Amino acid sequence: MEQFSFLQKIFRLSLFCFLLVFMTLIPALQGVNKAYGDDEDIDEDRVIELGKKVYETRCMICHGSKGDGKGFAGITRRVEKNGRVLKNYARDFTMGVFRFRTTPNGCLPDDEDLMKIISNGVSRSFMPPHKDILSLEEKKSVIEYIKTFSERWEEEDPCDVIEVKKPDWVGSSLSVKKGERVYKEMKCWECHGEEGKGDGPKSDKIKDDWGKPILPFNFVTGELKRGSSAENIYITFTTGLDGTGMPSYEDSLNEEDRWHLVSYTLKLMGKLKSLH
Amino acid sequence: MLNRFYLSLLLISGIVLGAFLLFVGYREISPEWKQYQVEYKNNLIKNAKDDATRERAKEVAIEIRQIYLGKLKRVDRCTTCHLGIENPLMVDADQPFSSHSGDYLKNHPLDKFGCTTCHHGQGRALTKKEAHGLGHKTHWDDPIIPTKYIQSSCAQCHDYKTLEQKGVNNIVKGRNLFQEKGCRGCHKLNKVGGDLGKPLDGIGSQPIAYFPMKHVTGEKTIYSWIKQHFDDPRKIVPESQMRAFLTEEEADLITTYILTLRAEEPPREYRRFMHMPEVKTDGESLYKKYCIACHATGKISVYDEILKRTIPAIKNPAFLKAADDNFLRNVIKEGRTGTQMTAWKISAAGLSDAEINKIINYLSIDRPEEKPERFGFADFTGNVERGKKLYEIRCTFCHGKDGKGGEGLLGINLINPVVQSADPEFLAITVRDGRAGTPMAAFGKKNGLGLEDQDIADLITYVKTLSQKKENLSNDYKD
Repeated sequence: MEQFSFLQKIFRLSLFCFLLVFMTLIPALQGVNKAYGDDEDIDEDRVIELGKKVYETRCMICHGSKGDGKGFAGITRRVEKNGRVLKNYARDFTMGVFRFRTTPNGCLPDDEDLMKIISNGVSRSFMPPHKDILSLEEKKSVIEYIKTFSERWEEEDPCDVIEVKKPDWVGSSLSVKKGERVYKEMKCWECHGEEGKGDGPKSDKIKDDWGKPILPFNFVTGELKRGSSAENIYITFTTGLDGTGMPSYEDSLNEEDRWHLVSYTLKLMGKLKSLH
Repeated sequence: MLNRFYLSLLLISGIVLGAFLLFVGYREISPEWKQYQVEYKNNLIKNAKDDATRERAKEVAIEIRQIYLGKLKRVDRCTTCHLGIENPLMVDADQPFSSHSGDYLKNHPLDKFGCTTCHHGQGRALTKKEAHGLGHKTHWDDPIIPTKYIQSSCAQCHDYKTLEQKGVNNIVKGRNLFQEKGCRGCHKLNKVGGDLGKPLDGIGSQPIAYFPMKHVTGEKTIYSWIKQHFDDPRKIVPESQMRAFLTEEEADLITTYILTLRAEEPPREYRRFMHMPEVKTDGESLYKKYCIACHATGKISVYDEILKRTIPAIKNPAFLKAADDNFLRNVIKEGRTGTQMTAWKISAAGLSDAEINKIINYLSIDRPEEKPERFGFADFTGNVERGKKLYEIRCTFCHGKDGKGGEGLLGINLINPVVQSADPEFLAITVRDGRAGTPMAAFGKKNGLGLEDQDIADLITYVKTLSQKKENLSNDYKD
């Protein structure tokens, strides 16, 4: 260290400071450009235009030209293995209410949430996956276009994403037992039924935010719409499904109990063998 | 010392053997039936009103009783234990002494009909366990029939009209259900019916080995199998594609009917068929018999999780408007390869042309008067390359990339011969106007998703090549 002279030290320090200032300035300068440049407006228009084009060729058929879910395809129906008929309505974008979020109850979804749905589709509904069909740019622009249907996107700021960390004991027999207790205490069975068949005493009285009758999920006959992993079940309990009868349990159950409930749900779905 | 040890060992084993022989001997001289007979005899003596009856009761022999039925090839020893079956005084007695309910024995005397003719079970057996064939793992093929299904025995000799007049209703209701729930859409009976399920001829007298009992709960009898199979087909046969959505009561009624489908017939002099069986042959009845299990009302199309495809709405006005009778006849006769739709022609599922015509007439009641606007497919020259591009943008999310439709997809299979051989005009009109009542949207310019007529012509030209493409592909692999 001693071979460096005092002058050299000063030089190095000033160089470091300069770099630091420069680096902080770059984004700021860009921001200035953004705020005052005309390029951005054109760019946004271009994104919306591309989004509209994608929407009209791929989404409009179900979601409608106004994004109100009243497309040409209409209501689609699905008969479950036990004979129960489910009506699938295409999502109405004009209310800005979304079920499958990683953001807290009542919030708008994260862009990443929408991206996931567009890419992977929604199983058990007829929303197809667009993983290989649309480019990333197309998907991003169609998300921007979807946001133009509801004013919520302009009025509200996005919420923080809820973090999910699965404990090791999820799916253990003790956890399943505790989850069963929670299932009883929180009256999940009122809608989902004692055996999770979606046939609880309240099951035929539920209506969604659009006033349409909606049936609770039958754990026995298939996959969750957003995917059946433990993490997805946990996030459903935490965020609730906005617009449906499924509330958020973020405040009424602690994190541990929610994970126990996940274990019990997995058992009802018959998925525990594959987990352990 | 050692000698004494061996002596005592010999003594002990001698005692054990002796006790065992005594036990076996005792069991031989006082079997289950003998205990019942002694009990019954004592009852008779105790309840006798005067000396004469008491004397008669004392003379009742303790012996095996059997009814020999030469014509029916049966030997029934049931009355060995069920001693009071013909005794009107035993109405309130507990089993096995209770008298027969109702006045059935008046017209079905024991010496002519025996017991197992109606009740099934092992007539020759002398213990309850073996005679009833229940509650153990002997796997008798013909265990005693539960009372709730007993009416299935009546139909062996009597016709349904007589039974209905006599108030034997369960079996009649069961038969009506069988005919109105479309069972024969998948199951053959008398060589007529679909072939997705097993034929039902003689199903009621199949040996127990015919029914996989692994998942049956309770008594492992064919009665339990059939009933539980109606409750939840996939619980009993995991790979089953059966669409049976019945209530508990309906399941019992239809089980009663299914049990009448036996292979053997009673001898001629036992049969009392007074009326010809009433067979409804109008279009609606035929539709209910053969089509309703999958197509339901036929008004709306649904995606079915069991069949893993969308079931077309065949009574939907928009469909009938575009599909003429010849098209319907072709589909019904030839079926749809690659789907669960059976070929119903006389050489396959066994429907005559007249019956198929009746079904078509019934379907076309809902056909609207107005004809669809002409498309004029012949006026266009379709471009396959453009059609392919359009197909990939517009059609893949319902019909799949290869046009096969299938699991999780809303659209129907476009490769099957019916679509491939259909009139392009019909396909073009469908694409242009859509199918009201189904998810198939109108893609045309007027009130639709904005495809020009030329686009539609290109699309149809491409769709028509879908099956050829597959053949080319297989040829390529061969080379």
